[in-house]
Amino acid sequence: MKLIHKLEPIFWMLFGGGGFVVAFVMPALILGVLILAPLGLMEQGLSYHRAHALAASLAGKGFLVVVLSLAFWHAAHHLRHFILDLFGHSGALPGAYFSYGLALAGTIATLVTVAAL
Amino acid sequence: MSAAATSHKTPVSAARKPDGFPLGWRRYRSYTLFAFTSVPIMVSAVGLLEGVHALAQGEDAWKAWLAALRQPHWLALSSFCLAFVLYFAIRFGWVGRKIGAGRIGPLPRPPLPLPLLGIAPIGGFVTVWLVLLVILGGVL
Repeated sequence: MKLIHKLEPIFWMLFGGGGFVVAFVMPALILGVLILAPLGLMEQGLSYHRAHALAASLAGKGFLVVVLSLAFWHAAHHLRHFILDLFGHSGALPGAYFSYGLALAGTIATLVTVAAL
Repeated sequence: MSAAATSHKTPVSAARKPDGFPLGWRRYRSYTLFAFTSVPIMVSAVGLLEGVHALAQGEDAWKAWLAALRQPHWLALSSFCLAFVLYFAIRFGWVGRKIGAGRIGPLPRPPLPLPLLGIAPIGGFVTVWLVLLVILGGVL
């Protein structure tokens, strides 16, 4: 638990930054990419070639890495405290490693996936 | 002597959850609901990452991924996540009005009514959502 406490300022910074990112962009991304595009309402904007061009540009890659990794870290910190609230101190250590482990895995997966674009 | 040093010597009862937590009182429900938003946010990020992965695999993979998301259960999950992420964003912005107003200590009262200050961050979020949707929709 000492390591987790030592890293707390970094987790807090990622949590705060992630909160802003989630609030500013996630609703539009979910609505546009996960709901409207599958329904065929974004055929022009999210055709393969346009979507790939947007995502694979330098700005697009930077956007994806920042948004997705910060969303993972934000959710992880909130989830850690949610687990602590629900299960008390017995859940503190496993909750912290589980949550931050998910965020770390999500960040690595984001970097690898975006690099492959 | 620091508080941490004295806390070991002061006898205290074992930590316990407040009565009725997590869903027994409306403020607990609100708190729990807000904490739960972490799960849909994480699920949404995974969903979007899958989309990026499909893009990297080529046109067929992208079209297959979109077709899979068209199934009712995936649309239901996406809508569920959207509802919670919207709730998170609005509540996040609503808290922001208190920060903007600077109501701690001997600071002057805010020049505008507090609810009006809450509209600013939420209005900012909605503006960015619309701009992003216009970009994603291919209008820009």
